[in-house]
Amino acid sequence: MRRAAGIRAVLALLAGAGALEAQRARDDGQWTMPGKDYAATRYSALAQLTPANVAGLKPVWNFSTGVLRGHEGQPLVVNNTLYVVTPYPNVLYAFDLAKPDYPLKWKYRPMVDANALGIACCDAINRGAFYADGKIVYNLLDGHTVAVEAASGRELWNVQVGDLSDGETMPMAPLVVRNRVIVGPSGGEFGIHGWTRALDLATGRISWTAYNEGPDTDVLAQPATFRPFYDKGADLGLTTWPKDVWKNAGAPVWGWLSYDPGLDLLYYGVGNPGPYNPEQRPGDNKWTNSVLARRPDDGSLIWAYQFTPHDNWDYDSNAEMILADLSVKGRPRKVLVHFDKNGFAYTIDRSSGEVLVAEPFVSLNWAKRIDLKSGRPVLDSSKFTGASKGNVTYICPSLEGGKSPASPAAFSPRTGWFYTATVNLCMDYHAGEAARIRGTPFIGASTPYVAGPGGHMGTFMAWDAAAGRKIWEIKEKYPVWSGVVATGGDLVFYGTLDGWLKAVSAKTGQLLWKFKLGSGIVGAPITYRGADGKQYIAVYAGIGGDWALLSGDVRSDDPTDVRDPADFIKDLGRYTSGGGMVWIFAL
Amino acid sequence: MVPLLVAACGRGPAKSPPSSDTAGTTALPAAVRYDQHIFAGGKAPLGAAERNPFAGDARSAAEGKQLFGSMNCDGCHGGGEGWVAPSLSDGRWRYGGSDAAVYQSIFYGRPKGMPAYGGLLSPQIIWKLVTHIQSLPPPRALPTQRW
Repeated sequence: MRRAAGIRAVLALLAGAGALEAQRARDDGQWTMPGKDYAATRYSALAQLTPANVAGLKPVWNFSTGVLRGHEGQPLVVNNTLYVVTPYPNVLYAFDLAKPDYPLKWKYRPMVDANALGIACCDAINRGAFYADGKIVYNLLDGHTVAVEAASGRELWNVQVGDLSDGETMPMAPLVVRNRVIVGPSGGEFGIHGWTRALDLATGRISWTAYNEGPDTDVLAQPATFRPFYDKGADLGLTTWPKDVWKNAGAPVWGWLSYDPGLDLLYYGVGNPGPYNPEQRPGDNKWTNSVLARRPDDGSLIWAYQFTPHDNWDYDSNAEMILADLSVKGRPRKVLVHFDKNGFAYTIDRSSGEVLVAEPFVSLNWAKRIDLKSGRPVLDSSKFTGASKGNVTYICPSLEGGKSPASPAAFSPRTGWFYTATVNLCMDYHAGEAARIRGTPFIGASTPYVAGPGGHMGTFMAWDAAAGRKIWEIKEKYPVWSGVVATGGDLVFYGTLDGWLKAVSAKTGQLLWKFKLGSGIVGAPITYRGADGKQYIAVYAGIGGDWALLSGDVRSDDPTDVRDPADFIKDLGRYTSGGGMVWIFAL
Repeated sequence: MVPLLVAACGRGPAKSPPSSDTAGTTALPAAVRYDQHIFAGGKAPLGAAERNPFAGDARSAAEGKQLFGSMNCDGCHGGGEGWVAPSLSDGRWRYGGSDAAVYQSIFYGRPKGMPAYGGLLSPQIIWKLVTHIQSLPPPRALPTQRW
């Protein structure tokens, strides 16, 4: 069985090897999907901006979205049009980049249920849209998916996919493969039963639903085609849970998806089990905190790997799976690279699910290492949590993650390295019994944070995923929560919570340029070629997401909600405040 | 089943200015600010002046505190200090801080995601939650100028 899989993988390697490279060579200067390409590299071959000239980068345009919440995700640029999706109430703007001053072509304002504001765990963010077949497709916070005609702004379909009353919201960015729009819910803190759905691109009708927990029939795992590298047995999504607990145990899909056309596999991470008190759910709790590989046409599960079995720390695995072809231990491998909230960076054979490399990329103490034979973490039992354990102190990383899945990394095929934001926070974890009441949170833990070793709260780093080692690192005062873009000019762009957009050398990490935006950056910068042939950088400003909860007073828009700054990050409000803005830069 | 509807006096806070010295707020410090309803014709609707039968009762407040955890209120309101939902201990109220306004927020819910608990909890239980929330010590002044 394993040998047959090996042969298939080799054949696929030969067939698909050129696919990623060919895609990059044809770089059209646009940005049509969240991760730039199906491999989610966030790499653009545009090379006008270089280490030699980037110091001359200047803002050329900006626009207030009129919304103050966390501006995660990225705009799209398609056919000289800039598409911007705002946080709730999820307005879609289309700006004409071919005309002076980039006037608004149209604006689309969907009806979105305000109740979503209280069901979304961590601010009313949206992670962006996908362009396919003349349509802009994106999710509304209240669980709807919409398709809008890219040329006119006319609504083509608007379909309810998630159920707000059951704790499901939908801030994630969809991925479109052929005629399938793939979406998933948030709600790991609301006792959802996590799933992924495929909608028909033409009509929005649901083609398939695959649950992340439950019997094989719900998980869409068939014995003939489901071959996890490490796990054996049927109904793993059922047998790794107490009876019926899996039915309301989280496993959200709120991160990014990627797709390998050569293998015809869709990859995405699954989030945390609920509640946070692990003693209410003995077992591995599959497939929470896992990567799943599915066929986009029918959703069938091909392989799965669980990063953090029986999660004690809210280590969601929703971070992106970046696809690359690397030489690992002397062998060319088709891999996916994943920076998990648990603090390990994984390099995994994406045809089989075998873990090739797993090394810490931040300070961590909940595990000693990942055993590559079994694929399981070697745990430190003093960091186990649960209602019977009282307050367990100083667990690293915190549940914000060694890196937040909200801040997607980039891969440059020129350097062969990955570039990522990191978070250096540790936490205490005091769990208690939680009761599931439909429509209310299902959490059961108090988890205050402190800065991790060194006292700085974040870094930005270059990572060699073939060897599992850090190449260079920039220490930042605050957690770094932005996405990344890497360019053909060997530049890397990222943003900071206090509002600086920075350009650094991809090779050395040397800071080459920075500019202060009006609000902290939790979005992901992009680059594109304008109608005039010039290379541009675009990014959102607008602090929020978890930082709407964590930073205390960075808001000024609600006189009835005033909070002290958080103990661990008291002075962030000295440097930033809420504000949603699109910025464009050029030489 | 809903005593506040049958026991309301129907007069309500008709004094001016309406933002001060209204029912249920007179005992609180001067720094506390409420968004209050404006009553057309100066007449409060039925129920708007309902009083908390357990006001100031420490045992009811303690029971309310337990309920605040077990009913998952703290999952959004973060132990009262605010999380995804507003702070309940800053002495400021989005939907009014009078006994009746807090009761109604819990009983009927509010449109930005506050679930309605009126179908799940008896009026007596809700009043205990109100008692707990009102026992959270509001600051005399909020030093926002130093943040």
